Parts: sequence; structure tokens; C-alpha cells
Amino acid sequence: MIIWMNKYVEIISFRRWAATLIFLVAVLIPDIVYAQSDEAILRPVNSVFSIKAGGASILDTYLTPIRYKGKVLQFEYERYQAMKFCPETWVSQLSAGISYDDVDNYVKSHKMQGAFVNFSWGMMHRWRPVNRLQIYAGASTSFDGGAIYNPLNSNNPVSVKLHWSLNPTAMAVYNMCIGKLPLTFRYQATISAFGLFYAPQYGESYFEMYVGNRSGLVHVGWWGNRFDMQNSLSVDVRIGGTVLRVGYSGLIQTSWINNINTQIYNNMFSIGVGGDWISVSGRSEQNRKAKILSALY
Amino acid sequence: MKCINILKGLCFTVSLVVIGACHEQPEFANTPKENFEALWRIIDQNYCFFEYKSDIDWVEVGNRYRAKVTNGMTPQELFSLCSEMVNELKDGHVNLASSWDVSYYRFWDQYPQNYNARIIEENYLNFNYKTASGIKYMVLPNNFGYMYYGSFSNTIGEGNLDYVLYEMISTDGLIIDVRNNGGGLLPNVETLVARFLDDEILAGAISHKTGPGHNDFSAPFKYYFKPSANGRIRYKKPVVVLTNRSSFSATNNFVSIMQYLPNVKIVGDVTGGGGGLPFTSELPNGWTIRFSACAIEDAMGNITEFGVAPSPGCKVDMSPEEEAVGKDAIIEKAFEILAEMINMQQ
Repeated sequence: MIIWMNKYVEIISFRRWAATLIFLVAVLIPDIVYAQSDEAILRPVNSVFSIKAGGASILDTYLTPIRYKGKVLQFEYERYQAMKFCPETWVSQLSAGISYDDVDNYVKSHKMQGAFVNFSWGMMHRWRPVNRLQIYAGASTSFDGGAIYNPLNSNNPVSVKLHWSLNPTAMAVYNMCIGKLPLTFRYQATISAFGLFYAPQYGESYFEMYVGNRSGLVHVGWWGNRFDMQNSLSVDVRIGGTVLRVGYSGLIQTSWINNINTQIYNNMFSIGVGGDWISVSGRSEQNRKAKILSALY
Repeated sequence: MKCINILKGLCFTVSLVVIGACHEQPEFANTPKENFEALWRIIDQNYCFFEYKSDIDWVEVGNRYRAKVTNGMTPQELFSLCSEMVNELKDGHVNLASSWDVSYYRFWDQYPQNYNARIIEENYLNFNYKTASGIKYMVLPNNFGYMYYGSFSNTIGEGNLDYVLYEMISTDGLIIDVRNNGGGLLPNVETLVARFLDDEILAGAISHKTGPGHNDFSAPFKYYFKPSANGRIRYKKPVVVLTNRSSFSATNNFVSIMQYLPNVKIVGDVTGGGGGLPFTSELPNGWTIRFSACAIEDAMGNITEFGVAPSPGCKVDMSPEEEAVGKDAIIEKAFEILAEMINMQQ
């Protein structure tokens, strides 16, 4: 009976997945048909390398109850491209970065250092409600990993951070010209909605993990125990094929798990350089007639 | 007007999400009263031995010292008062550190020291020992090996340990002297113990706090030690470990494991304890406070905070008279015990 029930549950589960898949295909079919019936399309890659610098505030009560403040430096690569399956309405976004935090306690007698890597990939649907304005909404998946090092704690000097998440994201892009200079204003907000993250128990030592107790270290992240948000505001100045990007990035990473309170806030100003790159084949006649669909412009 | 209302609603929703996820953290100002409160609270929420020190009412201790704190106190006066308060825990792992002083509960001051390095080096080693990884070692004229390990902070290299134990191959027994060893790194305990094992053993159990309450603890997690890797030298003849009240922290842990090995006896005085793995936190004024955070039990489930006793019949104190003639009564007892162990094996 139990075996039969399990099989029944599996069938129901499979049917749900199948129904979801069919629904997604049904939603996407009009766009796919449109893309296939259209002329050849070139999808330039908008990629920018940025350096970001600003203020950091870190509270991690696993290490210390004192909030540390200081500086943060980040290098980031960001890439946008219209998607192949329906380039008019879907764009992909990829970003990867490394960052370094150098913060002090209130009386500047102790330092903490943080080093992190992050990687994110997402898809967004694009609407053009009015001329020059594009609105995007979608989701991304991201991984953040790193550690905060506080040398004053001889036995537990490190707080390891590992976080994988699914994030709803929304973006607004407005294109305009000042004289003959094309400008692109962009604002994007991303909030983590669900994920998995690493956190030790309240007073658990790394020695205990070292001797084998690794249970209960991975937690499901949701808005009840963590809130992560990233805000980006930027202006792209396009000079020929080159893009100069200046902007602001705000990062909020907070969690409250096992009575451990973590709050990381970064406010960074950024400057970056990049461009729109097109990969073309040898069929030059086709390329001349091709329609160019940028992800942002 | 409609747009403003929509905007207000949006801001309110976003703020609710942010406030819901961010947990308020009490932050203390850098004043004598607030620094005192921060210290009291750190100990209250993180110290792991309140359960075993039932004579300490931390709320009462806090109230008693809080009444003496004023914002007009000098940092030195506040440090002295706070040191006095944390010393009520009678724990050598609880140390308040400022830029001019570190507080200690000197747990060993009411006991004989039971160790005199000069006597050992002059009368037993003839200043003719070798040193590797912080271990002084030599083969004594009576064919017993002797190794003195003064700090578990000195990381023991496996290769160094091979040299030490290779020297001891032809000895009849070995003395491991860990008197005055104030502790260090726990992984070094495993490295050393592994050289005296034939099979995997239960080394002990460790628990941690799961919340700020005095009784919020995880179940003790048992941990095991394996013999050293094949190809490494292991010592299988009788072993005596020498201890005194200054054998503390990681050394206490080492002794708590060695005491249950079949070919090992503990000789000397009760160890100094320190069976809690310490963490360090800090106050708004930058002072640091170290405290016992995770309780460690021995393989039989005994808490090791209060020290490990010598093996039955092996408790020895050094007398001033014997010291005056250059005799270390604890080493002499070790010779006697080793001879007995060898006889029993034959």
C-alpha cells in the first residue's frame, strides 16, 4: 500500500512538473515563432568592467558584538545580452566580482578584513511602455562566498559566508541624448527571495566542525531569517563603440540565524569601461541586413 | 496625490520587509557604564560553565559590581573593577585585556609549583638534550626516554616527531613532561596522542552553546582520534605523563585523553583544568575579553574544567628539601612507576 502510495505521489509530482513545463513552453511559443520568422538578428554583448569603492559597515556577532566600519573595494564584470530564443523581449544578465572589506572597530584598536566572490546569472523580460524607456523584470540565481577575518579571536577568527539564492530582479533603463552624446540611465534592484546559506550554531567552534560535527550548518534562506538587496544606479556614456559607466551600488546582506546577527552594508561608487561586442560570421551579406538588438539601448 | 499615496505604500512595504529581516542589535556606547554592561552581557550570554559553577549567581555578581561603576571612573579603575568581577568565575580562560594589562585568575597560586626547569636540565639532562618542534628530548642514563613539551602552541611536525620517537626506540619506557605547559592548539594534541594509539579511540566530547541562555547547550558531540598514519613511528612501551597545576587548557585536554590509554600513567599533581575552548570578544572601548565558550568532556563523560587527577597512587608533590638537593620528586616517582609497569608486563 505504501509502495503504491509512493508511486502515486511520484506520478502526481511528475504531472505537476510536466504541466509547468508545458505552461512555460506555451508562454514562450509566440516569442519563439516571432524570432524565427523575423530577419537575421545580431545580439551585441554589452560588457563592462567596473571598479567600485566606498564605505562598508559589518556586524557579525559570531565574531564580535561590535559593529566595524571602513572601506570596501570591488572589481566587477557585468554582461548583458538579448537572449537567443526571443531577443526582442528577453535579456540575460551575468555578473561576477571580487571584493575586499577593510574595517575597524569604534576606537580603531582592531581590524577585520573580508574577502568575497560573487557570481550571478539571470533572465529578464523586457517591456517598452513608452519611447526611450524600457522596463525589465525577471529572476536571477547567485552565489556569494567569502569570509570575514577578525584576528583577535584566537580560536574562531573567521566567519565563513556561503550563500546561494534565487532572486527576483527589476530594472528600468532610459535612453536619451545630450546633444549628440547618447546616455543610458539604469536602475536595478535585486532581492534574494529563497536560497541556502551556511551558518554555524550560536557558539559552535571550528574545532568541533574539524572533529566531525558538521550537522545543521546549512540553512534555508527566506525573508524570515535573511534579507539581501542590491541597488544599482548607473549612467552609461557611449563614445563610439566604447561605454563609460559611472554609478552607485548599494548592498545589504543581513541574516538572523541561531541567534547570530549579521549585517553587511556597502555603499559604493563605481566607474567602469566596456563596450558592445558583436560576434559575426563570414556571411557578410546576411550581416548587413541583420537587425541589431541591444539588451540595454 | 494618487501617485504620492502609491509611493508611500511602496516605501512602507519595502521598509516592512527590511525591518522584518534585520534583527536589532543592542549597541553600547564607549562609557564606563556601557562598557561594564557590554562585558557583563558577553559573559552572561556566552560563558559555558555556569551550569557547573552553581555557587556563582551571575546576576547577583553583576548587580554587586554595577553599583560601583560611575561614568567618572578612570579606565584603570574600571579595568580593575571589571577584572575583579570576571575573576569571580575562577577560570584561567577568562582574561580581560587592555592596552596596559591582562587580568588572570591565578588558579595555581595556592598549590606547590611542582616544577623546576633548572633542576631537570642540570641534574637529569646535563644540559645535553636535543630540541625539535619545541620538544626537548634525550635518553636518560637509566634507559628511559624523556621529552619535555612546554607549549601546545608550538606546532608539532610529524617529521620532527619521528626524529624524537626514533631516538626513543631502544628505551624501556618514556616520560612525557607537560608540567608548566599552559596549552595551545588542540590539533597538536591529536598529533601527539596519535603516536601512542593502536586503534581509533574515543577522545572525548564537545558541546557548544545554542543560544544566550545559561543552559542553552547542544548535546555533547563525541570525537575520535586515529593512530598516526602508517609509516610514522609509534611508541608502544610504558609511558608516564608528568603534570602539575600549570598543565592547563590544551595540555589538560592531552592528559584527559592519555589517562585512559592502557600503557599510560599520569604522575604528579592534578592538572590546572581549562576544559573550555575559549572564544574572544570585545568591548566598545577596544578591550578584549576571553572566556570559556565550549565545554569539553573526557571519554568517560567527565567535565575537564576542574582538572585531571593523577593515576591512583601517582599523586606526588615536590618538597623544598628535595629541591634543595637537586631532586625532582615527580621524575623520581615516574622512574619508579615505569619500572613497575615494565615488571608487570614481564
